[in-house]
Amino acid sequence: MNRGNRVALACCYWALVVYVFVPLILMIVMGFKDSKFIGFPIQSWTLDWYAGVFSDAEVLYTFGYSVLIAVLSTLISVIVGTWIAVLLEGRKFWGRAVMFGLMVLPALVPGIISAIAFRIYARWLGIEPGIGAIIWAHAVHNVPFVSLVVMARLSTLPKSQIEAARDLGADALIAFMRVTLPYLVPAILGASVFCLLLSFDDFVRSFFLGGYEPTLPVLIFAMLRSGMSPEINAIATAALVLTAAIGIWAERFTRQNSKESQV
Amino acid sequence: MTYDASVQKDGDDSTTSGGSRPFWGRVVNWRPYQGLVAIVTVSPRRQFFILVAFPVLWLLTQHLGPMLQMLHVSLLDAYPVAPGTAHTFTFDNYMRFLGDRIFWQPFFRTLTFAAVFTFCTLIITYPVAYFLARHVSRKNRMLMLLLLLIPFWVGEIVRTYAIMILLGNTGAVNQVLKWVGLIDRPIPFMYTSFSMGVGIVYLTALYMLLPLYSALEKLPKSYNEAAADLGAGAWTRFRRVTLPLTLEGISSGCTLVFLISTGFYATPVLLGGPSTTVFAETIAGFFHVAGDEWPTGAAFAVIMFAGALAITGVFQRLMKALRKGDTA
Repeated sequence: MNRGNRVALACCYWALVVYVFVPLILMIVMGFKDSKFIGFPIQSWTLDWYAGVFSDAEVLYTFGYSVLIAVLSTLISVIVGTWIAVLLEGRKFWGRAVMFGLMVLPALVPGIISAIAFRIYARWLGIEPGIGAIIWAHAVHNVPFVSLVVMARLSTLPKSQIEAARDLGADALIAFMRVTLPYLVPAILGASVFCLLLSFDDFVRSFFLGGYEPTLPVLIFAMLRSGMSPEINAIATAALVLTAAIGIWAERFTRQNSKESQV
Repeated sequence: MTYDASVQKDGDDSTTSGGSRPFWGRVVNWRPYQGLVAIVTVSPRRQFFILVAFPVLWLLTQHLGPMLQMLHVSLLDAYPVAPGTAHTFTFDNYMRFLGDRIFWQPFFRTLTFAAVFTFCTLIITYPVAYFLARHVSRKNRMLMLLLLLIPFWVGEIVRTYAIMILLGNTGAVNQVLKWVGLIDRPIPFMYTSFSMGVGIVYLTALYMLLPLYSALEKLPKSYNEAAADLGAGAWTRFRRVTLPLTLEGISSGCTLVFLISTGFYATPVLLGGPSTTVFAETIAGFFHVAGDEWPTGAAFAVIMFAGALAITGVFQRLMKALRKGDTA
Protein backbone atom coordinates (compact mmCIF):
# COMPACT_ATOMS: atom_id res chain seq x y z
CA MET A 1 0.00 0.00 0.00
CA ASN A 2 2.59 2.45 1.16
CA ARG A 3 4.99 1.39 -1.54
CA GLY A 4 2.36 1.72 -4.26
CA ASN A 5 1.62 5.21 -2.99
CA ARG A 6 5.25 6.14 -3.17
CA VAL A 7 5.62 4.92 -6.73
CA ALA A 8 2.48 6.76 -7.82
CA LEU A 9 3.75 9.98 -6.25
CA ALA A 10 7.17 9.54 -7.85
CA CYS A 11 5.41 9.18 -11.21
CA CYS A 12 3.62 12.49 -10.56
CA TYR A 13 6.97 14.15 -9.92
CA TRP A 14 8.63 12.78 -13.03
CA ALA A 15 5.56 13.61 -15.10
CA LEU A 16 5.89 17.23 -14.00
CA VAL A 17 9.60 17.15 -14.85
CA VAL A 18 8.71 15.91 -18.34
CA TYR A 19 6.03 18.58 -18.68
CA VAL A 20 8.39 21.43 -17.82
CA PHE A 21 11.46 20.15 -19.68
CA VAL A 22 10.17 18.58 -22.91
CA PRO A 23 8.82 21.79 -24.49
CA LEU A 24 12.14 23.55 -23.90
CA ILE A 25 14.19 20.61 -25.19
CA LEU A 26 12.04 20.46 -28.33
CA MET A 27 12.51 24.16 -28.85
CA ILE A 28 16.29 23.82 -28.56
CA VAL A 29 16.34 20.84 -30.94
CA MET A 30 14.27 22.66 -33.56
CA GLY A 31 16.86 25.44 -33.63
CA PHE A 32 19.31 22.99 -35.21
CA LYS A 33 16.94 21.72 -37.89
CA ASP A 34 17.98 22.33 -41.48
CA SER A 35 14.63 23.64 -42.70
CA LYS A 36 12.57 26.81 -42.43
CA PHE A 37 9.66 24.70 -41.30
CA ILE A 38 9.25 24.03 -37.56
CA GLY A 39 8.06 20.51 -36.81
CA PHE A 40 8.79 16.85 -37.26
CA PRO A 41 10.29 14.96 -39.01
CA ILE A 42 13.85 16.28 -38.89
CA GLN A 43 15.95 15.23 -41.89
CA SER A 44 19.21 17.09 -41.47
CA TRP A 45 20.93 19.42 -39.03
CA THR A 46 22.55 22.83 -39.30
CA LEU A 47 24.11 25.65 -37.29
CA ASP A 48 23.14 28.28 -39.84
CA TRP A 49 20.35 29.72 -37.75
CA TYR A 50 22.74 30.45 -34.91
CA ALA A 51 25.34 31.89 -37.27
CA GLY A 52 22.66 34.12 -38.75
CA VAL A 53 21.33 35.30 -35.44
CA PHE A 54 24.72 36.00 -33.88
CA SER A 55 25.84 38.06 -36.86
CA ASP A 56 22.62 40.08 -36.78
CA ALA A 57 23.47 43.46 -35.29
CA GLU A 58 19.88 44.14 -34.24
CA VAL A 59 19.62 40.93 -32.23
CA LEU A 60 22.96 41.52 -30.52
CA TYR A 61 21.98 45.10 -29.74
CA THR A 62 18.68 43.91 -28.26
CA PHE A 63 20.55 41.41 -26.09
CA GLY A 64 22.76 44.15 -24.69
CA TYR A 65 19.82 46.50 -24.28
CA SER A 66 17.92 43.91 -22.21
CA VAL A 67 20.95 43.16 -20.05
CA LEU A 68 21.53 46.88 -19.42
CA ILE A 69 17.91 47.34 -18.36
CA ALA A 70 18.13 44.31 -16.08
CA VAL A 71 21.31 45.51 -14.37
CA LEU A 72 20.20 49.09 -13.80
CA SER A 73 16.72 48.20 -12.58
CA THR A 74 18.18 45.58 -10.25
CA LEU A 75 20.53 48.14 -8.68
CA ILE A 76 17.58 50.39 -7.84
CA SER A 77 15.42 47.51 -6.58
CA VAL A 78 18.15 46.18 -4.33
CA ILE A 79 18.88 49.50 -2.64
CA VAL A 80 15.24 50.45 -2.15
CA GLY A 81 14.12 46.93 -1.25
CA THR A 82 16.82 46.50 1.39
CA TRP A 83 16.06 49.88 2.88
CA ILE A 84 12.36 49.02 3.20
CA ALA A 85 13.21 45.59 4.63
CA VAL A 86 15.48 47.06 7.31
CA LEU A 87 12.70 49.43 8.31
CA LEU A 88 9.94 46.81 8.41
CA GLU A 89 11.72 43.85 10.00
CA GLY A 90 11.62 43.49 13.75
CA ARG A 91 10.19 46.92 14.47
CA LYS A 92 6.78 47.78 15.78
CA PHE A 93 5.34 51.13 14.81
CA TRP A 94 2.08 52.67 13.82
CA GLY A 95 1.20 51.89 10.20
CA ARG A 96 3.63 49.00 9.80
CA ALA A 97 0.94 46.61 8.52
CA VAL A 98 -0.17 49.19 5.93
CA MET A 99 3.44 49.71 4.83
CA PHE A 100 3.92 45.97 4.48
CA GLY A 101 0.78 45.74 2.35
CA LEU A 102 1.97 48.58 0.13
CA MET A 103 5.39 46.95 -0.13
CA VAL A 104 4.04 43.70 -1.59
CA LEU A 105 1.43 45.42 -3.79
CA PRO A 106 3.47 45.54 -7.05
CA ALA A 107 4.13 41.80 -6.83
CA LEU A 108 0.44 40.97 -6.48
CA VAL A 109 -1.04 43.20 -9.18
CA PRO A 110 -1.73 41.04 -12.27
CA GLY A 111 0.75 41.68 -15.10
CA ILE A 112 -1.43 43.51 -17.57
CA ILE A 113 -2.90 45.82 -14.91
CA SER A 114 0.54 46.63 -13.55
CA ALA A 115 1.76 47.46 -17.07
CA ILE A 116 -1.24 49.70 -17.75
CA ALA A 117 -0.88 51.48 -14.40
CA PHE A 118 2.83 52.12 -15.05
CA ARG A 119 2.06 53.32 -18.57
CA ILE A 120 -0.48 55.86 -17.29
CA TYR A 121 1.74 56.97 -14.41
CA ALA A 122 4.79 57.35 -16.65
CA ARG A 123 2.81 59.65 -18.94
CA TRP A 124 1.57 61.65 -15.98
CA LEU A 125 5.15 62.04 -14.72
CA GLY A 126 6.27 62.98 -18.20
CA ILE A 127 8.52 59.94 -18.70
CA GLU A 128 8.64 59.06 -22.37
CA PRO A 129 8.26 55.39 -23.32
CA GLY A 130 11.73 53.91 -23.69
CA ILE A 131 14.63 52.68 -21.64
CA GLY A 132 14.03 55.01 -18.69
CA ALA A 133 10.39 54.02 -18.35
CA ILE A 134 11.21 50.31 -18.57
CA ILE A 135 13.97 50.51 -15.97
CA TRP A 136 11.69 52.42 -13.63
CA ALA A 137 8.79 49.97 -14.03
CA HIS A 138 11.02 46.93 -13.57
CA ALA A 139 12.65 48.48 -10.52
CA VAL A 140 9.33 49.21 -8.81
CA HIS A 141 7.92 45.82 -9.72
CA ASN A 142 10.95 43.98 -8.29
CA VAL A 143 11.25 45.83 -4.97
CA PRO A 144 8.86 43.48 -3.09
CA PHE A 145 10.92 40.42 -4.01
CA VAL A 146 14.09 42.01 -2.59
CA SER A 147 12.32 43.20 0.55
CA LEU A 148 10.77 39.80 1.28
CA VAL A 149 14.04 37.91 0.84
CA VAL A 150 16.05 40.41 2.88
CA MET A 151 13.40 40.48 5.64
CA ALA A 152 13.54 36.70 5.90
CA ARG A 153 17.31 36.78 6.32
CA LEU A 154 17.23 39.75 8.69
CA SER A 155 14.81 37.94 11.00
CA THR A 156 17.53 35.34 11.68
CA LEU A 157 20.20 37.90 12.65
CA PRO A 158 20.75 37.64 16.42
CA LYS A 159 20.01 41.01 18.01
CA SER A 160 22.93 40.41 20.38
CA GLN A 161 25.41 40.93 17.52
CA ILE A 162 24.21 44.47 16.92
CA GLU A 163 24.16 45.13 20.65
CA ALA A 164 27.72 43.84 20.94
CA ALA A 165 28.84 46.22 18.18
CA ARG A 166 27.07 49.10 19.85
CA ASP A 167 28.64 48.21 23.21
CA LEU A 168 32.05 48.30 21.58
CA GLY A 169 31.33 51.87 20.59
CA ALA A 170 30.03 51.59 17.03
CA ASP A 171 27.34 54.11 16.17
CA ALA A 172 24.16 52.89 14.46
CA LEU A 173 25.53 53.51 10.97
CA ILE A 174 28.79 51.64 11.58
CA ALA A 175 26.93 48.79 13.26
CA PHE A 176 24.71 48.55 10.19
CA MET A 177 27.60 48.67 7.74
CA ARG A 178 29.82 46.21 9.58
CA VAL A 179 27.35 43.78 11.16
CA THR A 180 23.96 43.90 9.47
CA LEU A 181 24.99 44.45 5.88
CA PRO A 182 27.64 41.69 5.69
CA TYR A 183 25.10 39.33 7.24
CA LEU A 184 22.60 40.28 4.53
CA VAL A 185 25.00 39.82 1.60
CA PRO A 186 23.86 36.30 0.60
CA ALA A 187 20.21 37.37 0.67
CA ILE A 188 20.95 40.52 -1.30
CA LEU A 189 22.92 38.59 -3.92
CA GLY A 190 20.19 35.99 -4.24
CA ALA A 191 17.55 38.67 -4.58
CA SER A 192 19.67 40.53 -7.17
CA VAL A 193 19.90 37.48 -9.38
CA PHE A 194 16.17 36.95 -9.06
CA CYS A 195 15.56 40.59 -10.06
CA LEU A 196 17.96 40.32 -12.99
CA LEU A 197 16.06 37.31 -14.29
CA LEU A 198 12.64 38.88 -13.68
CA SER A 199 13.68 41.99 -15.57
CA PHE A 200 15.40 40.15 -18.39
CA ASP A 201 12.40 37.84 -18.87
CA ASP A 202 9.70 40.46 -18.40
CA PHE A 203 7.44 40.97 -21.36
CA VAL A 204 4.31 42.84 -20.42
CA ARG A 205 5.90 45.90 -18.79
CA SER A 206 8.61 46.17 -21.44
CA PHE A 207 5.96 45.88 -24.14
CA PHE A 208 3.73 48.67 -22.86
CA LEU A 209 6.51 50.99 -21.67
CA GLY A 210 8.99 50.44 -24.50
CA GLY A 211 9.52 52.90 -27.26
CA TYR A 212 10.78 51.81 -30.65
CA GLU A 213 13.64 49.67 -29.34
CA PRO A 214 12.40 46.26 -28.24
CA THR A 215 13.80 44.24 -25.35
CA LEU A 216 14.57 40.60 -26.11
CA PRO A 217 11.17 39.14 -25.10
CA VAL A 218 9.40 41.91 -27.02
CA LEU A 219 11.54 41.18 -30.09
CA ILE A 220 10.71 37.47 -29.90
CA PHE A 221 7.03 38.31 -29.50
CA ALA A 222 7.10 40.61 -32.52
CA MET A 223 8.85 37.93 -34.62
CA LEU A 224 6.31 35.32 -33.48
CA ARG A 225 3.41 37.43 -34.67
CA SER A 226 4.66 36.98 -38.19
CA GLY A 227 5.06 33.23 -37.78
CA MET A 228 7.39 30.66 -36.29
CA SER A 229 10.91 30.42 -37.64
CA PRO A 230 14.14 28.67 -36.63
CA GLU A 231 15.77 32.06 -36.00
CA ILE A 232 13.39 32.53 -33.10
CA ASN A 233 14.49 29.15 -31.75
CA ALA A 234 18.10 30.25 -31.90
CA ILE A 235 17.43 33.56 -30.11
CA ALA A 236 15.17 31.93 -27.52
CA THR A 237 17.74 29.20 -26.88
CA ALA A 238 20.47 31.78 -26.34
CA ALA A 239 18.24 33.60 -23.86
CA LEU A 240 17.39 30.30 -22.17
CA VAL A 241 21.02 29.30 -21.76
CA LEU A 242 21.88 32.68 -20.28
CA THR A 243 19.01 32.73 -17.76
CA ALA A 244 19.36 29.08 -16.73
CA ALA A 245 23.12 29.46 -16.27
CA ILE A 246 22.72 32.54 -14.07
CA GLY A 247 19.98 30.82 -12.10
CA ILE A 248 21.98 27.66 -11.45
CA TRP A 249 25.09 29.63 -10.53
CA ALA A 250 23.11 31.75 -8.06
CA GLU A 251 21.48 28.70 -6.53
CA ARG A 252 24.85 27.04 -5.95
CA PHE A 253 26.34 30.25 -4.63
CA THR A 254 23.57 30.91 -2.10
CA ARG A 255 23.60 27.27 -0.99
CA GLN A 256 27.34 27.37 -0.34
CA ASN A 257 26.92 30.61 1.53
CA SER A 258 24.13 29.37 3.73
CA LYS A 259 26.19 26.28 4.53
CA GLU A 260 29.09 28.44 5.64
CA SER A 261 26.93 30.64 7.83
CA GLN A 262 25.45 27.59 9.52
CA VAL A 263 28.87 26.35 10.61
CA MET B 1 34.61 58.52 19.14
CA THR B 2 35.16 55.53 21.32
CA TYR B 3 34.89 53.20 18.38
CA ASP B 4 38.25 54.11 16.95
CA ALA B 5 40.03 53.60 20.26
CA SER B 6 38.49 50.19 20.79
CA VAL B 7 39.58 49.05 17.35
CA GLN B 8 43.13 50.12 18.01
CA LYS B 9 43.28 47.98 21.10
CA ASP B 10 41.51 45.00 19.61
CA GLY B 11 44.20 42.83 18.09
CA ASP B 12 41.90 40.01 16.98
CA ASP B 13 39.93 42.26 14.71
CA SER B 14 42.61 42.32 12.02
CA THR B 15 42.46 38.54 11.59
CA THR B 16 38.78 38.57 10.75
CA SER B 17 38.35 41.66 8.62
CA GLY B 18 41.85 42.04 7.21
CA GLY B 19 42.60 45.33 5.54
CA SER B 20 39.25 46.93 6.18
CA ARG B 21 40.22 48.28 9.60
CA PRO B 22 42.12 51.34 8.45
CA PHE B 23 39.27 52.09 6.08
CA TRP B 24 36.60 52.05 8.77
CA GLY B 25 38.86 53.84 11.16
CA ARG B 26 39.34 56.60 8.61
CA VAL B 27 35.61 56.74 7.89
CA VAL B 28 34.84 57.19 11.56
CA ASN B 29 37.32 60.02 11.93
CA TRP B 30 36.26 61.73 8.73
CA ARG B 31 34.69 65.09 9.60
CA PRO B 32 31.72 64.99 7.19
CA TYR B 33 30.88 61.54 8.53
CA GLN B 34 31.00 62.78 12.09
CA GLY B 35 28.75 65.65 11.10
CA LEU B 36 26.32 63.25 9.49
CA VAL B 37 26.23 61.03 12.55
CA ALA B 38 25.71 64.06 14.76
CA ILE B 39 22.69 65.11 12.70
CA VAL B 40 21.23 61.62 12.42
CA THR B 41 21.68 60.43 15.97
CA VAL B 42 20.45 63.41 17.93
CA SER B 43 17.62 61.26 19.22
CA PRO B 44 16.27 57.77 18.48
CA ARG B 45 13.15 59.53 17.27
CA ARG B 46 14.96 61.48 14.58
CA GLN B 47 16.96 58.40 13.64
CA PHE B 48 13.72 56.57 13.05
CA PHE B 49 12.22 59.38 11.01
CA ILE B 50 15.24 59.51 8.73
CA LEU B 51 15.05 55.76 8.26
CA VAL B 52 11.33 55.91 7.59
CA ALA B 53 11.05 58.97 5.35
CA PHE B 54 12.40 57.49 2.12
CA PRO B 55 10.48 54.18 2.24
CA VAL B 56 7.21 55.97 3.00
CA LEU B 57 7.78 58.36 0.13
CA TRP B 58 8.71 55.52 -2.22
CA LEU B 59 5.78 53.32 -1.25
CA LEU B 60 3.27 56.13 -1.64
CA THR B 61 4.58 57.56 -4.91
CA GLN B 62 5.84 54.41 -6.62
CA HIS B 63 3.73 51.54 -5.31
CA LEU B 64 0.44 53.25 -4.61
CA GLY B 65 0.77 56.15 -7.05
CA PRO B 66 0.35 54.21 -10.31
CA MET B 67 -2.76 52.47 -8.99
CA LEU B 68 -4.33 55.74 -7.82
CA GLN B 69 -3.51 57.50 -11.06
CA MET B 70 -5.08 54.62 -13.00
CA LEU B 71 -8.21 55.02 -10.88
CA HIS B 72 -8.14 58.76 -11.48
CA VAL B 73 -7.81 58.43 -15.26
CA SER B 74 -10.60 55.85 -15.33
CA LEU B 75 -12.97 58.53 -14.06
CA LEU B 76 -12.02 61.16 -16.64
CA ASP B 77 -13.94 61.85 -19.82
CA ALA B 78 -10.73 62.38 -21.79
CA TYR B 79 -7.03 61.78 -21.22
CA PRO B 80 -4.63 63.40 -21.61
CA VAL B 81 -6.57 66.52 -20.75
CA ALA B 82 -6.21 69.03 -23.55
CA PRO B 83 -4.68 72.29 -22.30
CA GLY B 84 -7.25 74.98 -21.66
CA THR B 85 -10.20 72.61 -21.35
CA ALA B 86 -11.70 71.54 -18.10
CA HIS B 87 -11.92 67.80 -17.54
CA THR B 88 -15.01 66.34 -15.98
CA PHE B 89 -15.48 63.27 -13.87
CA THR B 90 -17.72 60.60 -15.25
CA PHE B 91 -18.72 56.98 -14.81
CA ASP B 92 -19.29 56.52 -18.56
CA ASN B 93 -16.14 54.41 -18.91
CA TYR B 94 -17.51 51.91 -16.42
CA MET B 95 -20.96 51.99 -18.03
CA ARG B 96 -19.40 51.11 -21.34
CA PHE B 97 -18.32 47.80 -19.85
CA LEU B 98 -21.85 46.82 -18.91
CA GLY B 99 -23.30 47.97 -22.20
CA ASP B 100 -21.52 45.61 -24.53
CA ARG B 101 -21.28 41.86 -24.69
CA ILE B 102 -17.86 41.97 -26.35
CA PHE B 103 -16.56 43.55 -23.14
CA TRP B 104 -18.07 41.52 -20.34
CA GLN B 105 -17.79 38.19 -22.10
CA PRO B 106 -13.95 38.22 -22.08
CA PHE B 107 -14.11 39.47 -18.50
CA PHE B 108 -16.06 36.47 -17.22
CA ARG B 109 -14.07 34.16 -19.48
CA THR B 110 -10.83 35.41 -17.93
CA LEU B 111 -12.06 34.82 -14.40
CA THR B 112 -13.42 31.36 -15.27
CA PHE B 113 -10.23 30.35 -17.09
CA ALA B 114 -8.06 31.63 -14.27
CA ALA B 115 -10.10 29.66 -11.71
CA VAL B 116 -10.00 26.46 -13.79
CA PHE B 117 -6.26 26.79 -14.53
CA THR B 118 -5.55 27.49 -10.85
CA PHE B 119 -7.42 24.33 -9.89
CA CYS B 120 -5.50 22.32 -12.51
CA THR B 121 -2.21 23.69 -11.19
CA LEU B 122 -3.20 22.69 -7.66
CA ILE B 123 -4.12 19.14 -8.73
CA ILE B 124 -0.86 18.75 -10.66
CA THR B 125 1.52 20.18 -8.08
CA TYR B 126 0.03 18.90 -4.80
CA PRO B 127 1.19 15.27 -5.29
CA VAL B 128 4.60 16.55 -6.36
CA ALA B 129 4.97 18.76 -3.29
CA TYR B 130 3.75 15.89 -1.13
CA PHE B 131 6.25 13.51 -2.71
CA LEU B 132 9.16 15.92 -2.22
CA ALA B 133 8.27 16.76 1.37
CA ARG B 134 7.41 13.23 2.52
CA HIS B 135 9.12 10.59 0.43
CA VAL B 136 12.46 12.09 -0.50
CA SER B 137 15.52 12.25 1.71
CA ARG B 138 16.58 15.71 2.81
CA LYS B 139 19.69 15.54 0.66
CA ASN B 140 17.95 14.66 -2.59
CA ARG B 141 15.05 16.99 -1.87
CA MET B 142 16.90 20.19 -2.76
CA LEU B 143 18.33 18.64 -5.92
CA MET B 144 14.94 17.42 -7.07
CA LEU B 145 13.37 20.80 -6.32
CA LEU B 146 16.20 22.52 -8.17
CA LEU B 147 15.56 20.35 -11.20
CA LEU B 148 12.01 21.73 -11.32
CA LEU B 149 13.25 25.28 -10.74
CA ILE B 150 15.52 25.42 -13.79
CA PRO B 151 12.80 25.79 -16.45
CA PHE B 152 11.12 28.46 -14.37
CA TRP B 153 14.07 30.81 -14.73
CA VAL B 154 13.32 30.91 -18.43
CA GLY B 155 11.07 33.75 -19.55
CA GLU B 156 7.37 33.80 -20.22
CA ILE B 157 7.71 34.35 -23.96
CA VAL B 158 10.31 31.64 -24.50
CA ARG B 159 8.23 29.09 -22.61
CA THR B 160 5.08 30.10 -24.47
CA TYR B 161 6.91 29.59 -27.74
CA ALA B 162 8.08 26.18 -26.55
CA ILE B 163 4.43 25.20 -25.95
CA MET B 164 3.56 26.39 -29.48
CA ILE B 165 6.15 23.98 -30.85
CA LEU B 166 4.96 21.15 -28.61
CA LEU B 167 1.28 21.40 -29.53
CA GLY B 168 1.45 22.46 -33.18
CA ASN B 169 -0.04 20.32 -35.95
CA THR B 170 3.42 18.95 -36.72
CA GLY B 171 4.44 19.19 -33.07
CA ALA B 172 5.73 16.44 -30.86
CA VAL B 173 2.40 15.49 -29.29
CA ASN B 174 0.67 14.99 -32.63
CA GLN B 175 3.67 13.11 -34.02
CA VAL B 176 3.72 10.72 -31.08
CA LEU B 177 -0.03 10.10 -31.29
CA LYS B 178 0.26 9.43 -35.02
CA TRP B 179 3.21 7.12 -34.52
CA VAL B 180 1.36 5.14 -31.84
CA GLY B 181 -1.53 4.92 -34.28
CA LEU B 182 -4.18 6.69 -32.23
CA ILE B 183 -4.86 9.32 -34.87
CA ASP B 184 -4.60 9.68 -38.66
CA ARG B 185 -4.63 13.42 -38.95
CA PRO B 186 -3.25 15.89 -36.39
CA ILE B 187 -5.52 17.15 -33.63
CA PRO B 188 -5.69 20.97 -33.75
CA PHE B 189 -4.57 21.65 -30.17
CA MET B 190 -3.34 25.15 -30.89
CA TYR B 191 -5.40 28.34 -30.56
CA THR B 192 -7.89 26.74 -28.19
CA SER B 193 -8.53 27.04 -24.47
CA PHE B 194 -6.61 23.77 -24.12
CA SER B 195 -3.35 25.14 -25.52
CA MET B 196 -3.83 28.27 -23.44
CA GLY B 197 -4.32 26.13 -20.34
CA VAL B 198 -1.20 24.07 -21.01
CA GLY B 199 0.76 27.30 -21.40
CA ILE B 200 -0.59 29.07 -18.34
CA VAL B 201 -0.27 26.05 -16.04
CA TYR B 202 3.31 25.73 -17.27
CA LEU B 203 3.99 29.35 -16.37
CA THR B 204 2.37 29.29 -12.93
CA ALA B 205 3.14 25.79 -11.58
CA LEU B 206 6.10 26.95 -9.50
CA TYR B 207 4.11 29.62 -7.67
CA MET B 208 1.79 26.85 -6.51
CA LEU B 209 4.48 24.27 -5.82
CA LEU B 210 6.58 26.37 -3.44
CA PRO B 211 3.83 27.38 -0.94
CA LEU B 212 2.50 23.80 -0.95
CA TYR B 213 5.97 22.39 -0.42
CA SER B 214 6.77 24.68 2.50
CA ALA B 215 3.39 23.93 4.11
CA LEU B 216 3.91 20.18 3.76
CA GLU B 217 7.49 20.35 4.95
CA LYS B 218 6.48 22.13 8.15
CA LEU B 219 3.93 19.45 8.98
CA PRO B 220 5.44 17.04 11.55
CA LYS B 221 5.39 13.40 10.53
CA SER B 222 4.29 12.44 14.04
CA TYR B 223 0.78 13.80 13.38
CA ASN B 224 0.29 11.21 10.70
CA GLU B 225 1.80 8.48 12.86
CA ALA B 226 -0.55 9.40 15.71
CA ALA B 227 -3.51 9.18 13.35
CA ALA B 228 -2.28 5.81 12.11
CA ASP B 229 -1.94 4.55 15.68
CA LEU B 230 -5.53 5.57 16.27
CA GLY B 231 -6.53 3.36 13.37
CA ALA B 232 -6.96 5.86 10.52
CA GLY B 233 -6.31 4.52 7.03
CA ALA B 234 -4.14 6.28 4.45
CA TRP B 235 -7.02 8.14 2.85
CA THR B 236 -8.51 9.20 6.18
CA ARG B 237 -5.11 10.38 7.35
CA PHE B 238 -4.74 12.51 4.25
CA ARG B 239 -8.28 13.89 4.40
CA ARG B 240 -8.43 14.53 8.15
CA VAL B 241 -4.82 15.43 8.99
CA THR B 242 -2.63 16.41 6.05
CA LEU B 243 -5.15 18.29 3.93
CA PRO B 244 -6.63 20.46 6.73
CA LEU B 245 -3.18 21.36 8.02
CA THR B 246 -1.94 22.42 4.58
CA LEU B 247 -5.02 24.51 3.75
CA GLU B 248 -3.03 27.66 4.43
CA GLY B 249 -0.45 26.72 1.80
CA ILE B 250 -3.21 25.81 -0.64
CA SER B 251 -4.93 29.09 0.03
CA SER B 252 -1.86 31.26 -0.56
CA GLY B 253 -0.73 29.24 -3.59
CA CYS B 254 -4.16 29.46 -5.22
CA THR B 255 -4.46 33.19 -4.54
CA LEU B 256 -1.07 33.88 -6.07
CA VAL B 257 -1.65 31.69 -9.12
CA PHE B 258 -5.14 33.07 -9.69
CA LEU B 259 -3.92 36.67 -9.63
CA ILE B 260 -1.02 35.87 -11.95
CA SER B 261 -3.25 33.91 -14.34
CA THR B 262 -5.66 36.81 -14.79
CA GLY B 263 -2.79 39.10 -15.77
CA PHE B 264 -1.29 37.17 -18.70
CA TYR B 265 -1.29 39.03 -21.98
CA ALA B 266 1.28 37.52 -24.35
CA THR B 267 0.42 33.89 -23.62
CA PRO B 268 -3.29 34.17 -24.54
CA VAL B 269 -2.37 36.22 -27.61
CA LEU B 270 0.05 33.56 -28.83
CA LEU B 271 -1.64 30.37 -27.65
CA GLY B 272 -5.31 31.34 -27.70
CA GLY B 273 -7.66 31.93 -30.59
CA PRO B 274 -10.56 34.20 -31.47
CA SER B 275 -12.90 32.18 -29.24
CA THR B 276 -10.63 32.55 -26.21
CA THR B 277 -10.06 36.31 -26.13
CA VAL B 278 -9.22 37.26 -22.56
CA PHE B 279 -9.85 40.57 -20.84
CA ALA B 280 -6.16 41.49 -20.92
CA GLU B 281 -6.40 41.64 -24.71
CA THR B 282 -9.51 43.83 -24.45
CA ILE B 283 -7.71 46.22 -22.09
CA ALA B 284 -4.56 46.29 -24.23
CA GLY B 285 -6.71 47.20 -27.25
CA PHE B 286 -7.50 50.58 -25.73
CA PHE B 287 -3.82 51.43 -25.41
CA HIS B 288 -2.78 50.58 -28.94
CA VAL B 289 -4.99 53.24 -30.46
CA ALA B 290 -4.77 57.00 -30.00
CA GLY B 291 -4.75 58.34 -26.45
CA ASP B 292 -8.41 59.21 -26.12
CA GLU B 293 -9.31 55.61 -25.33
CA TRP B 294 -7.08 55.51 -22.26
CA PRO B 295 -9.82 56.33 -19.72
CA THR B 296 -11.87 53.35 -20.90
CA GLY B 297 -8.81 51.09 -20.77
CA ALA B 298 -8.02 52.34 -17.27
CA ALA B 299 -11.61 51.74 -16.15
CA PHE B 300 -11.50 48.21 -17.53
CA ALA B 301 -8.22 47.54 -15.75
CA VAL B 302 -9.78 48.77 -12.50
CA ILE B 303 -12.79 46.50 -13.09
CA MET B 304 -10.51 43.54 -13.69
CA PHE B 305 -8.39 44.16 -10.62
CA ALA B 306 -11.50 44.64 -8.48
CA GLY B 307 -13.04 41.47 -9.88
CA ALA B 308 -9.90 39.40 -9.28
CA LEU B 309 -9.50 40.81 -5.75
CA ALA B 310 -13.15 40.16 -4.92
CA ILE B 311 -12.83 36.53 -5.96
CA THR B 312 -9.59 35.96 -4.03
CA GLY B 313 -11.16 37.71 -1.03
CA VAL B 314 -14.18 35.41 -1.06
CA PHE B 315 -11.90 32.42 -1.60
CA GLN B 316 -9.69 33.30 1.36
CA ARG B 317 -12.75 33.78 3.56
CA LEU B 318 -13.98 30.34 2.56
CA MET B 319 -10.63 28.74 3.27
CA LYS B 320 -10.49 30.42 6.66
CA ALA B 321 -13.95 29.17 7.53
CA LEU B 322 -12.93 25.69 6.38
CA ARG B 323 -9.81 25.79 8.55
CA LYS B 324 -11.77 26.89 11.61
CA GLY B 325 -14.46 24.29 10.98
CA ASP B 326 -11.87 21.55 10.83
CA THR B 327 -10.02 22.40 13.99
CA ALA B 328 -13.21 22.91 16.01
